[in-house]
Amino acid sequence: MRTPFLHKLLFNLFTWSLVLLVTFPLAWMIITSLKPQTELFRIPPTWWPETITFEHYWRLLTETPFLTYFRNSVVLATSTTIFVVVLGTIGAYSLVRFSYRGRETLATLVLFTYLLPSVVLIIPLYLMMVELGLSNTLTSLILAHTTFALPYALWLLRSFMEGVPEDLESAALVDGATRMGAFRDVILPQLLPGIISTALFTFILSWNEYLYALVLVNSESVRPLTTGVMSMLITAFNIEWSLLMAASVMMSVPLIIVFAFLQSYLTRGFGAGGVKG
Amino acid sequence: MTATNTDTPLLERRYARLGVLLIAPTVVVFSMVIVYPLLAAIYLSLFSIYTPTLEGDFVGAANYAELLTGGDFWRSLGTTLIWTVGTLTLQIVFGVGMALLLHQNLWFRSLARSLVLFPYFISTVVAVLVWRWLFNDLYGALNHGLMQLGIIDMPLDWLGSMPNAMIGIILVGAWKYFPFVVIAVLARLQTIPDHLYEAARIDGAGPIARFWDVTLPQLRSVLVVIILLRAIWDFKEFDLIFLLTGGGPVTSTQTLALLVYQEAFALNNMGQAAAYSVGMMLVMLAFMLIYIRRTGREG
Repeated sequence: MRTPFLHKLLFNLFTWSLVLLVTFPLAWMIITSLKPQTELFRIPPTWWPETITFEHYWRLLTETPFLTYFRNSVVLATSTTIFVVVLGTIGAYSLVRFSYRGRETLATLVLFTYLLPSVVLIIPLYLMMVELGLSNTLTSLILAHTTFALPYALWLLRSFMEGVPEDLESAALVDGATRMGAFRDVILPQLLPGIISTALFTFILSWNEYLYALVLVNSESVRPLTTGVMSMLITAFNIEWSLLMAASVMMSVPLIIVFAFLQSYLTRGFGAGGVKG
Repeated sequence: MTATNTDTPLLERRYARLGVLLIAPTVVVFSMVIVYPLLAAIYLSLFSIYTPTLEGDFVGAANYAELLTGGDFWRSLGTTLIWTVGTLTLQIVFGVGMALLLHQNLWFRSLARSLVLFPYFISTVVAVLVWRWLFNDLYGALNHGLMQLGIIDMPLDWLGSMPNAMIGIILVGAWKYFPFVVIAVLARLQTIPDHLYEAARIDGAGPIARFWDVTLPQLRSVLVVIILLRAIWDFKEFDLIFLLTGGGPVTSTQTLALLVYQEAFALNNMGQAAAYSVGMMLVMLAFMLIYIRRTGREG
């Protein structure tokens, strides 16, 4: 009896130390954000804060443009998500349940663009936004985020749509529903979990995006969090690490919420996201 | 009877029209933000454009001649390959290992699974800030941790010298992206039928033999897809490297994505940058075609 238990204990100890090692950087981020500035420059570092303080969070909210960045990111990621998910749901319905010429080519094109590097598109997009007078606006970023979010959402929703049984739609049609009626009453409710997980993924992608924000926007009032927080690092005379770590924690809050309440949707999206073995 | 015979093609035609109507908005947006910029990139690569004024002249294939003979492109391609192979190998080895561990009967297994996924979903900006703080040569936790464990005697300069900078970005890349491998492999592991393991056990196979003879062959197809996808994504990675080292020291970690960015927005040669980006895409095309063919065959 003792040996299997010992075996299990060792296995758990080993695996859990690996898991904790992986999460250490994130724990360190939280610990650093709670340390007073003076404790930060202790050599060797204190592994657990001697005094816990929330002053950095307070300063972040009152003395830096953090809230502006945060609001911009919320507007940006939400608009991108709504735009892309609406287009993607209708588009995926068309790609999966209708037959017309060029459909297969289009599906391949979607997959191709899903793999395309952003740096190829960034130069023409930059010129386009200057031409359209959209440079330095959130609209330009929403459009730019569409370049990676739309192929991604289409691809994901396409696999979710394939999982909705075709019989349901046929039955509704036999009962006299129109195609769009069947789409609204039969397919949409079935697809809802897929739509939620696509929306979550799109939101996270857009929330985390850096390159387009770097190139297309350079005024404080329109910056999203990614470039905004990085500019706090670059412009600071001496880098205030605890402030930056507090900003990192705050920036991850939406993600923590998703993780706490909606994690099953994230894992579901993974299965559909092109990694079918 | 005759009514249905004429009705069906009519209905099908109407459906086809509706299908085209539904995909039309997507096609319009696609053409505007992806197809047009893609063609424009190829067109721009034939010009010499000064970024601040956006003015320039047609130079034909001169940018491509520079790409082939100038050396920058090939040096960056080499750097990109080292980064891709290095970080991808770590991601796969560590990802598969972690998936195997998390597949076992672990205490608080679902909590462990959630914790491991975190690095993948946080913003690259957050990951980079945390790691730059960890890597900090004076106050960084990494140097002090390693010194307290007796692995090193002196603090290391992680991001400012070679080969440490390359090792640094490869490690952070592996940390950030291995959860992708974990999730994909875990999902596949759960579908391997138990009787395969039973049969192997009856045949007297130990845990290691069972891994090689049962698990690995079952994982093969999903691993191919993961490797292709991750190879493509690592190859084009920009944020992580740009924010960690900016391509430095000097150009030691300047991958192709960084080369394109710096040529366009630091050296202000937009045409040359466009040519580099087209070259980069051509290199990637091989991988992309393999992945597309594979996915198409299974789908």
